[in-house]
Amino acid sequence: MSTTREGIHPRTLCSIAPPDLLGRLAVEGDPRQREAAVRALATSAAIRSQRAVMGYLNRQLNVNIGKMVGFGVIPERRLTIYDNKTNGRTFLPGVRARDWGEPPVKDAAVNQAYDGSSATYEFFRDIYQRNSLDGAGLELISSVHYGVAFDNAFWDGTQMVYGDGSGRIFQIGGLTRAVDVIAHELTHGITELTAALIYSKQPGALNESFSDVFGSLVKQFTLNQTAAEADWLIGEGILVPELGTALRSMINPGTAYSGDQQPGHMDHYKDLPDNNDPRNDNGGVHINSGIPNHAFALAARAMGGYAWEKAGKIWYTVLTTRLRANSQFDEAARATVDVAGTLFSSTEQDMVHDAWKQVGVLS
Amino acid sequence: MKLIIFRGGGFAGMVARTELDAKSLPRDDAETFASSIARANLREEPPPPPEKSWPDAQLYELCLEESGPTLNVRYSEENLPEDVRLLVAWVDGRPERVESMGP
Repeated sequence: MSTTREGIHPRTLCSIAPPDLLGRLAVEGDPRQREAAVRALATSAAIRSQRAVMGYLNRQLNVNIGKMVGFGVIPERRLTIYDNKTNGRTFLPGVRARDWGEPPVKDAAVNQAYDGSSATYEFFRDIYQRNSLDGAGLELISSVHYGVAFDNAFWDGTQMVYGDGSGRIFQIGGLTRAVDVIAHELTHGITELTAALIYSKQPGALNESFSDVFGSLVKQFTLNQTAAEADWLIGEGILVPELGTALRSMINPGTAYSGDQQPGHMDHYKDLPDNNDPRNDNGGVHINSGIPNHAFALAARAMGGYAWEKAGKIWYTVLTTRLRANSQFDEAARATVDVAGTLFSSTEQDMVHDAWKQVGVLS
Repeated sequence: MKLIIFRGGGFAGMVARTELDAKSLPRDDAETFASSIARANLREEPPPPPEKSWPDAQLYELCLEESGPTLNVRYSEENLPEDVRLLVAWVDGRPERVESMGP
């Protein structure tokens, strides 16, 4: 059922048509349908629909959508930040607040989302030669001030969304302040466009872990920290102090805040159902991600130096070329061992294998 | 009448519990609470979530205790009806609410 008492769900009013439907029509429809779909996309203000279609076209046709004419794409526009505060609170993307290349504005959340997205974009471009989430320059869209005192940040399949925090769980303004949170959300976009790990149980925990891995690496990169120097904390300093220091510890899972249940070893894996119960976290995706997180931090520390140079490169290659939607921990572990040997040597291969052995995934 | 809201998932993966008892409210506010609950239409089946979950989307469970069995209804950020969102925001704004972390 998709209607409310008034008849139409409010968000339906804000969209034109399901983006994948428009995408399919633009590619597979008859000439009239194709023309109508392209016209709708070219003229519509529904930017997030356009972006989803662009992603669809990019995946289906393997074309550089940034160079296509008529889709409202500005090839050099790397990112745009929108403000939800002045336009309905949950209507995405909201009102444009800062375009690519524009100077800082008065709103700190806008500038933080801008800077964090830019830092993430530059990290993937400079370290892994990846041009944005899709590898083809897809514009990064972020909306800040979502909801009212909203205690969350998420990726909705087309863009990043940040709440202000309530001051009861997250510090007010905390969610855009941490670059690892921003990089975490953006990495969900890369995962969606590559391995497409389903967001449930072990594949979902891997999805979460890859976001933590690259969230942490972007933070380390911006701070110029080696694996030995890094704190391996995710979301450090954004919780209210009464709750704890950070959301997750990759090097010591289960210690980031009071009540942190993350396991660091398969012996303590929590096999939760994926039943839409908020207490079960999509089958423990944010809980069991502690295990692959721990394996990454151990491997990175064993290899030494900057974590993005070896361990990060191995994990990036596995995410973008080796995993599939339903990959489990053991498959991801074997893939990283294999890729370590291909990219580097048997020394790195042994270090990666040993890391997964320490967390109980490989024997 | 008592409403308990569980929120979980999300970027943090934490579970937060918020409870509001109509008995703790001044009479006018208790009436607003009741009408907000009626408007939220918790007995109506929620809209279906999208095929693919949004990573880090928040999950919600609303438990309504009235006379008779407790009503439990679950939503995710993707399919949260606007009137339910407004109800949650109204409860969040009440100083009488009782909050705790953990399931």
